[in-house]
Amino acid sequence: MKTLMRATRLKRGAIVTAVAGLALSSVVISSAASASAKLPKSGVETPSGGTVTETGSTLMYPLFNLWAGGYNTKFPSSTIQTAATGSGTGISEAENGTIAIGASDAYLSPSVVSANPDLKNIPTAISAQMVAYNVPGVLSHLKLSGKLVSEIYQGQVTKWNASQIASANPGVTLPNIPIVALHRSDSSGDTFIFTQYLSKADPSGWGAKVGYNTTVPWPAAPGALGENGNSGMVSGCKATPGCIAYIGISYLTQTLQAGLAYSALGNGKGQYVVPTQTSIAAEAAGFVKKTPANGTISLIYGNINNGYPIVNYEYAIVSTHQSSTSTAKNIRSVLEWAINSKYGNSSSYLSQVNFQPLPSKVVAQSLKQILSIQ
Amino acid sequence: MTTTSLSAGPSTRRRRVSTITWRVLTYIALVLIMAPAAWLLVSVLAHAAPHWQWSVLWTTLTPTGGGLRDQIVGTLILMLGVFIIAGTIGVLAGIHLAELARPRRRSGKASGGFLRTSSDILTGFPSIVLGYVGYTALVVGLHWGFSLLAALIILSIMVIPYIAKTTENSLRQVPTGYREGAEALGMSMGYGLRKVVLKSALPGIVTGLLLALAIACGETAPLIYTAGFSPTLPHSLTHAQFPYLTYVVYAYYNAPETQYHYLAFDAALILVVIVLLLLVVSRMIVSRTQRHAEGGRTRTRSRRRPRRPEPTGEPLDLVDLRR
Amino acid sequence: MTSVGGVAGSIPATPHAESMGKPPPWKRVGSFFRRNEERAWRGSAWVAVVLPLAALVFAVSVLVIKAWPAVRVNGWYFLYGRNWTYGNGYGAVVHTDGVAHPTGAQFGAWAILWGTVVSSVIAIIIALPLSIGAAFALTERLPGWISRPLGFAVEILAGIPSVVLGLWGILTFGPWLAKNVYPIIADHAPNVPVLRYFRNPVGSGEGLLSASIVLALMIVPIITSTTRDLFLQVPPLPKEGALALGMTDWEVSNKVTLPWVRSGIIGATILGLGRALGETIAIAMIGGAVLHIPINIYQPFTTVAATILTQLDGALTDGTGFAVATLAELALVLAVISVAVNLIARLIISRTGRIGAPVGGA
Repeated sequence: MKTLMRATRLKRGAIVTAVAGLALSSVVISSAASASAKLPKSGVETPSGGTVTETGSTLMYPLFNLWAGGYNTKFPSSTIQTAATGSGTGISEAENGTIAIGASDAYLSPSVVSANPDLKNIPTAISAQMVAYNVPGVLSHLKLSGKLVSEIYQGQVTKWNASQIASANPGVTLPNIPIVALHRSDSSGDTFIFTQYLSKADPSGWGAKVGYNTTVPWPAAPGALGENGNSGMVSGCKATPGCIAYIGISYLTQTLQAGLAYSALGNGKGQYVVPTQTSIAAEAAGFVKKTPANGTISLIYGNINNGYPIVNYEYAIVSTHQSSTSTAKNIRSVLEWAINSKYGNSSSYLSQVNFQPLPSKVVAQSLKQILSIQ
Repeated sequence: MTTTSLSAGPSTRRRRVSTITWRVLTYIALVLIMAPAAWLLVSVLAHAAPHWQWSVLWTTLTPTGGGLRDQIVGTLILMLGVFIIAGTIGVLAGIHLAELARPRRRSGKASGGFLRTSSDILTGFPSIVLGYVGYTALVVGLHWGFSLLAALIILSIMVIPYIAKTTENSLRQVPTGYREGAEALGMSMGYGLRKVVLKSALPGIVTGLLLALAIACGETAPLIYTAGFSPTLPHSLTHAQFPYLTYVVYAYYNAPETQYHYLAFDAALILVVIVLLLLVVSRMIVSRTQRHAEGGRTRTRSRRRPRRPEPTGEPLDLVDLRR
Repeated sequence: MTSVGGVAGSIPATPHAESMGKPPPWKRVGSFFRRNEERAWRGSAWVAVVLPLAALVFAVSVLVIKAWPAVRVNGWYFLYGRNWTYGNGYGAVVHTDGVAHPTGAQFGAWAILWGTVVSSVIAIIIALPLSIGAAFALTERLPGWISRPLGFAVEILAGIPSVVLGLWGILTFGPWLAKNVYPIIADHAPNVPVLRYFRNPVGSGEGLLSASIVLALMIVPIITSTTRDLFLQVPPLPKEGALALGMTDWEVSNKVTLPWVRSGIIGATILGLGRALGETIAIAMIGGAVLHIPINIYQPFTTVAATILTQLDGALTDGTGFAVATLAELALVLAVISVAVNLIARLIISRTGRIGAPVGGA
């Protein structure tokens, strides 16, 4: 009798162990299957070959062009097709599925996220934005606070020799010409980060009245003009003496060649900071800990010592649900190459556009998002 | 001063002044129109010529420069597709309006009025609205993405009314005698249509087709939203963006790469050349057939009196289409 | 032997056919085609004519369906409101009448509609006298060896892609105007009601007046060509009679020719107006893209077509779809205006057809 009961207990135990073992192993197997994209040692998957279409941010466009060349050298069977159409287009076309990667300086809005749960914004690099101007005779970095720029764009400060500008810049001869405020006419990530800066620096003024978005209702400043793309801002500002324009830092060379100068902007600590490698990196470093796993965070107007106030992550807007596994592989390969500090995120590419590499913590987070693209 | 005593009077001087002013004003008007047009053409040439390389015609577009080969081929493919699709449908529609619609009343006025009106309404339809509809219904709605097929459909819809109108006009200018003769000879309706009526209206129809092609190749707005843009020719009708020339002009004239500025002007020059070729060829077709047709003049005579319209038809203007 | 020209569709006479009854198979195929050819022509031609109509109906339905949520929420404010804002895209989503949209989204298209209408009107004001004058010069004054090539040149102007016109306008013509022409006008314009808008500041050439001038260049070929055709169709008798009575050129034109062709010209002008209303790319390039009413005639502005072109791309950043619906509403408004203008023009033209000389264009 006892033997029988022991045998039954043993049998039961064996069955339980076997079942548990099976369950455990199936969990292990399935988890291995879901993290199906296996990164090779180089950190970049080999693509299936073909074209990956990218469109969007004009701020990121020069970098993506460089990346396209470098990527094609490493993987001759694959090409990246780039276009500069504005961050809004990048987000929209990624939503629609008409292109593979949308480049955007702006992270996705909550309404877009809820309408498209598969859409992700993946940080790929760190960029910045300058406030440039065409003031004859002034080639130095004018000190402009966020509130002052907000007043200029609202049409409350209309001449370059206004007292607000003069008092912040003693010793600079400012001509008596009207200020022409240029803004982007297309749906632009540059507008997003610029207006975010103005909203944070002037919450009761700009923040309350206008807010931030890729397109905003620009106040009627006298002579204000709309330009298409960052290059439109450069050429428009060059053609308009007295203009002030917000231009991405990847256009620094063109801006200087056009005879424009850029300002030292007021940051959260009240300091006037010129956009340099150090100041941009400092601002970005101040936000690394707070960057969430999905990459959605604003790096603007942080309370960081000597940090340049207009700094942002450059996002790749991608859907995690692609039409075929080969498309998904191609996209993953491109993005892995881009964020890898040996390849896309190396200084050989980034320094040409004055961008900063992603901090390693953010690289890991981006990698996780990339691997979820199926 | 006054020359004859009979017409002398205070009003004569005023009338003479007003006449001369009028003549001068009409010449000034003509100059004011021609001068900017000429300036435009010269300016396009002047901007494109300094950096022109013949290799632009057979090199592909690269991120930093290159050529416009695929864009040119793309524009030509679009024109060919529109020629086939819109040409067939438009010519058939024109035949219906001119020949086949039965008059309801004995008024002699051709019927098909409702269909003709609706066809005419489409001639002035804003191209961006058609582009938007194409984007919403075809690109996004049917999930074709930016594609050649969507672009062809929208361009054809835009151009069919023009072709229908010119076909109808050319068919109406075929003398009724031809049709009556064909019927008297016992030709069936289809046979007569093919061998007699269409044959004589063919130059006018072809001219209309060429002019509609000129309109199609110059369109930008609807193509931006149906074909997208691409540096290279795709391999499929759907799910792949399509290259064409007009986008290059729109987007590249202030692009970051200086090479792209030159490409924008090169594209403008090539577009102007294509349109010129189409117009010249259509003029040649008409003048050649006028020479051989009845009542056509083989030598031009200049007269001060206004010319009466020829029975075999005035040369069709591109402008006729846009009315 | 029976004659060849017999009943339509009958089999050509041969000795075999008549004596053997049923024709051989290959001839039966031929006769099948001949008999049904007419049906094939009629059928396919009817389909071909109905297709554009179907396309028009389809287009309008798509517009109405997409625009309906926006029409409900925007209401009449859309037509007279001055505030065009996408709202707080990064804030909360609210619902009005069951339609989701960002907080603070408000679409008043008054400035956009104003820009569309005003630029087209200015373009007509510039184009009409130029076209009529040029048409007179071409038909009445100049000998054929000049007027034919010049007529061809007008055709070329009609064929130039509008994007090329836009490129020339923004890079060459606009800046030239701003540097050489506008300052002269601006310095001498008095401070009286309408002319006030011609005063300084002059801007950089991207604005209402520059865009309207380029629009005028696009309309001129339409009006010139129609007017030329109309002049050629004026019966010579009244004109020769007037000349015989001693009237001068100018008086003949003014009192005889022009009244005869007046309705035709009006019709052509309205068609040109329709073209100007729908013009997209040139205005997007030269107009400057600013969403409020300019303070004077040299400043930037926007039109419905240009707004749709530049804003549609990015409209999907509004995840609720409300911005896209509003742009669809704009497109619908433009379509309605353009169709209405077209119908009015054809009405005028067709009415003249019964009175005076036949006018081109149906």
